[in-house]
Amino acid sequence: MTQSGEPVIGVANLCKCYGDVKAVDGVSFQVGRGEVFGMLGPNGAGKTTTIEILEGLREPDSGTATVFGMDVTKHAPSIKQRIGVQLQSVSLYPRLTVTELLDLFGSFYSHHVPTKQLIDAVDLGERAKARSMNLSGGQQQRLSIALALVNDPELIFLDEPTTGLDPQARRSLWDLVKGLQARGKSIMLTTHYMEEATELCDRVAVMDHGHILEMGTVPELIGRRFKERAVFFDTSPKLPVGQLGRLEGVTRAAQEDGQTVLYSRDVPGTIGALLGLTDKLDVDPHNLGIRQATLEDVFLDLTGRALRD
Amino acid sequence: MNTLLRLTVANVRSLIRDRAALFWTFFFPVMFVFLFGWIFGGSGGSKIAIGFVDQDHTVVSTGLQQAFSRVTLLTIQTGSLEAEKAAMQHGDISAIVVVPSGTGAAVAARSATPIQLYIDPSQSQVSQVVEQIATQIASGFNLELAGGTAIVGVQQLTLQSTNLTTVAYLVPSILAMALMQLGVFAAIPLVQQREKGILKRLGATPLARWKLVGSNVLLRLLVAIVDALVILGIGLIFFNVQIIGSVLAVAGLVLLGAGAFLAIGFALASFLNTEEQATGVVQVVQIPMMFLSGIFFSFDMLPGFLQVIARLMPLTYLADALRQVMVNGTQVAPLGTDLAILSGWLVVCLAIAARSFRWE
Repeated sequence: MTQSGEPVIGVANLCKCYGDVKAVDGVSFQVGRGEVFGMLGPNGAGKTTTIEILEGLREPDSGTATVFGMDVTKHAPSIKQRIGVQLQSVSLYPRLTVTELLDLFGSFYSHHVPTKQLIDAVDLGERAKARSMNLSGGQQQRLSIALALVNDPELIFLDEPTTGLDPQARRSLWDLVKGLQARGKSIMLTTHYMEEATELCDRVAVMDHGHILEMGTVPELIGRRFKERAVFFDTSPKLPVGQLGRLEGVTRAAQEDGQTVLYSRDVPGTIGALLGLTDKLDVDPHNLGIRQATLEDVFLDLTGRALRD
Repeated sequence: MNTLLRLTVANVRSLIRDRAALFWTFFFPVMFVFLFGWIFGGSGGSKIAIGFVDQDHTVVSTGLQQAFSRVTLLTIQTGSLEAEKAAMQHGDISAIVVVPSGTGAAVAARSATPIQLYIDPSQSQVSQVVEQIATQIASGFNLELAGGTAIVGVQQLTLQSTNLTTVAYLVPSILAMALMQLGVFAAIPLVQQREKGILKRLGATPLARWKLVGSNVLLRLLVAIVDALVILGIGLIFFNVQIIGSVLAVAGLVLLGAGAFLAIGFALASFLNTEEQATGVVQVVQIPMMFLSGIFFSFDMLPGFLQVIARLMPLTYLADALRQVMVNGTQVAPLGTDLAILSGWLVVCLAIAARSFRWE
């Protein structure tokens, strides 16, 4: 989706230090109306700090951050009326029910969506009278999103909305987010799951050590760095990377996550040459496969580290 | 206002649905009143046995003996000092009043003369009662001797003697203890809410922070009122403990006491990071106060250095003030001092909390 009109979020040269640690170090980006913008990076990359500055929960050291064109440090109260916030791993008043919590949060805003409607929107109808402490992880996350929607916000912040969820709960949460996007909401989310960024985000910023390393749509990010596809396999013992790098079509060879990966412009040629080599050395390549480069590869290429480290 | 009310309701609901919290806030003090009520007071009718030793054998000493026998709460036995000491060590009597020889002569000569009182400091409640009665009898006598309006003194004595049971001392003390606990324990849910990110999540809504704090204060004051009603009600119904002083003054003290300890709880919460830490520190704060503030042990029986510590503790003054207002108990400090010290704790801790409280 392309940006149209005035951006809902504008960030320029944002910096925030905790003691000697530069949590956010000169970050700039914009998010357009109706866009789903994702920040991808490992823990400690500065994603949460950035998002919490935009939510008005933290003061930046320098740089500017605007939401709806208003400076977050000066107009926090009016911004808070119009945004929805889901924080990382927050439990709420554990002994209040889903309905009670939604009613309570609704009372904080000048206008709010009827509780029944919110419960239906996140599919918690059967658990409406359950205390939040008795909800499953996925249900708690849905409640957390319902609470973020209580004021019918134009812009929604989701900080690692699916961390700790099982794959099924994650899928159903993704559907929920897609539904919000279809209703024209602008969404900024952070994640350290590349599938999540790939699945949900119109644009992604890859973040590490307080910097944005690269920004764009997922195909852009991959295409910008990888003209090749990856051939991966296991051998025991590992084959020397230098020797593999000279195989036909291979532009680069590396050991990643215990696998040997060959980036190739000519996959059939590379596989033929590889099998010839393993035959000659009398080793068996296991788990041989081919894949398109992913965001994970982009991240690895940008930082030299795997995302989940 | 609507928001403040709704938040308070949310807090009340959270408390009512939390059995452990309910126990500590309501049932624990109630249990104490019954337990100590039964131990010390029975149904309020049990009497305190004391020994009376007359070494003077004058009109004055006989008059004193009559004055003590008129106190319905006491049963008197007479005998030699040796015999009475033995009886006290044996546990038959709780105190001994001795009128030394020469008392009558001294009174006739208008010179100051002490009567002696042996008390058992391990029975602090009983000792306090006997001490109180002896003091009042002595002052009644003084009035009479000075030719003042002696009748007023005697009437006053009669009125109070019907109420001066041991339980009457315990009820205000336990009320003070309950107020202390509800205030100090308030640190735990605050730290919990911060640790779990609830305070932060609320910070991301347009909710004003004063409403968040206000709803917590309202909740605790509500609990204080309920606690006071329950404890005083049990005292009245089961142990016939009546409030001698003004009910309004008691209500004022309940609120001031709850406020002061709540401020302490908020100040503690400012420096504690985890729920485990909070639970530990709260106990470290509340248990010594519970035992050193003259609630279960008489202030006087504490060794000197512990008395110094006890004199620093706000609970000492709240319990003292409540006893003074409710049952006209012997005072540790004048009421004005009690109020000043409690207000001091309130203001200082509130200032600390306002400066140092963290939302995440």
